[in-house]
Amino acid sequence: MTLSVHIRHRFGTFDLDVAFDAGPGITALFGQSGAGKTTIINAVAGLFAPDAGHVTLNGHPLFDSTAKAFVVPAARRFGYVFQDARLFPHLNVRENLTFGTRYAPASAKGASLDDVTDLLGLSALLNRMPATLSGGEKQRAAIGRALLAKPQMLLMDEPLASLDGPRKQEILPYLERLRDGPLGLPILYVSHAVDEIARLADTLVLLKDGRVQAHGPLYDVMADPAAVPLLGVREAGAVIEAEVLTHATDGLTQLRSSGGDLHLPGVQAQPGTKVRLRVLAQDVMLSVNKPEGLSAVNVMPVIIQDVHQGDGPGAAIALRAGDDRLLARVTRRAVAELGLTTGMRCYAILKATSVAPGSIGR
Amino acid sequence: MTVFAAASLRGALEEIAQAYPGDVSLSFGGSGTIARQIAAGAPADVVVLANTLWMDWLVEQGTHIIEAPQPVAANTLVLIGPKDAEPLAELNDLPARLATGRLAIGHRDAVPAGTYARQWLEAAGLWDEVKDRLAETDNVRAALAFVTRGAVPLGIVYASDAVAEPAVKVLWHAPASDHDTIAYPAAALTPVGKTFLHALTSPQAGLIFTAHGFQAVIQ
Amino acid sequence: MTSDAAAWEALRLSLWVACWATVLAVPLALWIAWILARRDFWGKSLLSALVHLPLVLPPVVTGYLLLMGFGRNAPLGRALDSIGITLAFHWSGAVLAAIIMGFPLMVRAMRLAIEAVDPKLEEAAATLGAPRIAIFGRVTLPLIAPGILAGAVMGFAKAMGEFGATITFVANIPGQTQTLPSAIWAALQIPGGENQAIAMVMMASVVAIGAVLISEALARRVAARIAGA
Repeated sequence: MTLSVHIRHRFGTFDLDVAFDAGPGITALFGQSGAGKTTIINAVAGLFAPDAGHVTLNGHPLFDSTAKAFVVPAARRFGYVFQDARLFPHLNVRENLTFGTRYAPASAKGASLDDVTDLLGLSALLNRMPATLSGGEKQRAAIGRALLAKPQMLLMDEPLASLDGPRKQEILPYLERLRDGPLGLPILYVSHAVDEIARLADTLVLLKDGRVQAHGPLYDVMADPAAVPLLGVREAGAVIEAEVLTHATDGLTQLRSSGGDLHLPGVQAQPGTKVRLRVLAQDVMLSVNKPEGLSAVNVMPVIIQDVHQGDGPGAAIALRAGDDRLLARVTRRAVAELGLTTGMRCYAILKATSVAPGSIGR
Repeated sequence: MTVFAAASLRGALEEIAQAYPGDVSLSFGGSGTIARQIAAGAPADVVVLANTLWMDWLVEQGTHIIEAPQPVAANTLVLIGPKDAEPLAELNDLPARLATGRLAIGHRDAVPAGTYARQWLEAAGLWDEVKDRLAETDNVRAALAFVTRGAVPLGIVYASDAVAEPAVKVLWHAPASDHDTIAYPAAALTPVGKTFLHALTSPQAGLIFTAHGFQAVIQ
Repeated sequence: MTSDAAAWEALRLSLWVACWATVLAVPLALWIAWILARRDFWGKSLLSALVHLPLVLPPVVTGYLLLMGFGRNAPLGRALDSIGITLAFHWSGAVLAAIIMGFPLMVRAMRLAIEAVDPKLEEAAATLGAPRIAIFGRVTLPLIAPGILAGAVMGFAKAMGEFGATITFVANIPGQTQTLPSAIWAALQIPGGENQAIAMVMMASVVAIGAVLISEALARRVAARIAGA
């Protein structure tokens, strides 16, 4: 199941020229506001026709400027979850949810109303009117409505952008269920929030100024030093997978990753579950020698893969810890003074808070 | 000088007002509407109506009148058709001439010209035959317009209206005895209005009235 | 006909004409309101001006234009005659006059309602697979229904009150074109006719107020439903 996107479009001073493929799982489009993300997803949905290019799903052209092909949105069978939910105000939640079901072709597979209601926790809301729902409830209903139209793929345009922290944390597990659960729908997910991307994405497309700057599996792209300026120095960080071992009484949880054990606060998951962690690059320190007597509890032996000097005083170091990769951000001076080079063995020090809050997911 | 007058006097009164030394402001309308406006206190100096019924009503309402109302012009009723209509051999041919069309007259109760038309048709013994084939209008000029536009084959209007409209042809003159006298009573409501009232009954005014198809009132 | 009977006849005719005028005008007004609200095309301002013309012209002028266009002697009038539709001096002519006079008010109310519908909701419906007609029927129409109702009531009320254009076009014919306003006017033209007029004025007021109350109540029901009450 492949969505192939190649779009060139110009409006006003903005110039978009992107090409990428989206496969199974969640493909995230990341970029700052104005990078062109919503334009791309609207073009994929068929809400407008770009100046040039093509959008193909499993080889079938939905849009092709040279062949003058264009499939209208209603026929594309994409479920679109909008940033502002866009529930129909005159219909209750149940009627909203089942709105698109009658247009799905008989052959389409998809969840039933009960499945979706359970999945998204909507049972108590079915008879309510949209005006009485909270932001999070509206968004869940919007997701449910898109699912019940039995789409081949979900398109989500910053679905959590209008929600505050707690609401976001409430919905993220539902999105993880969408990705992992029996539905197994491919999802194109637009966001400018790195924690969402780190938690949900399988494939990552980084956009800047209307161009694709990086594109590939999440772990690879996040661990690439070149991603640091694109994600922002405060948000950049590699993603690693770890298994929860035990919860200690002093509030720290022990997790095992291929590079070593970690002790982190605030991990809710049960022992035995695998979680994703985004380790903020700016909070990874390096030590040439194994450090003793440090307050930081997490020390991992690592091998330097790449030293990437930026324009400013910073440098991004790509590290390998076991099978996982880490990013560390240090000063160019430190690189020079410590003589950090590719292939060198040293130690990465992670404070317990080096893992971004909210980015601990499955 | 403010004068409220019946609409059918428009052409003639405008000429008289022009010849009058001094500014005259003319306001035209249906006799009933004008009478009600004056009874409600409209600031007119002179009022000229198209029938005595409304003038009597005005007096009954206690409206302050300087001199007793007097007629300033008279009119006659005519039957008209479009310009190219065949002449009517006798009045009794009227229903046949109507065929499937209608006879345009002013509203039989509400428009004086319509009341006179009804009286004439009753006197001529034609009322019962035509009373369900009428097109009654809210003023006599609208009836004239129906004939001009060919919407109806026949209409009954004032002689003064027929004079004003070249696209119609007079087919019959109503005998004056067949209807109430069509007189235009005028009254002065303020001392200032007396002068205009006298102008209305002057020989010059009489000439103007005649030129417009009315009959001058001999003082 | 006694004056009482004449009054009831005028009321019956006014209701008949107003109902026909509203029923016939609503679909047309809705269509015009739609294209003015949602479409751009050459001549759009011209169309809008034309629609609003009866609002700004004196009713008598509109009636006269109708006479020129649809009278027995006029081109359109003759064409309609040949297919059996006679408007001259017939209640159908009164219906036409009522439609034309009420049209601008209907279009205005409906256009406002259509413009108030968020096109993003229609986009959302499209992405859910709904064809254009379904989007209109299931999303747009329910949301503009209060506006359509408001437009219809305005058109109905205007038709009940229409006088100048009607009497100029189709005269005052009891049973055919003597609508309530015509009858009220005729009564007022007779000295001492006020009593008869008052009775008819009350009839007209009851109908008009009733129509407004019903439409308000319906609009409130719709709003309450959306608010989730």
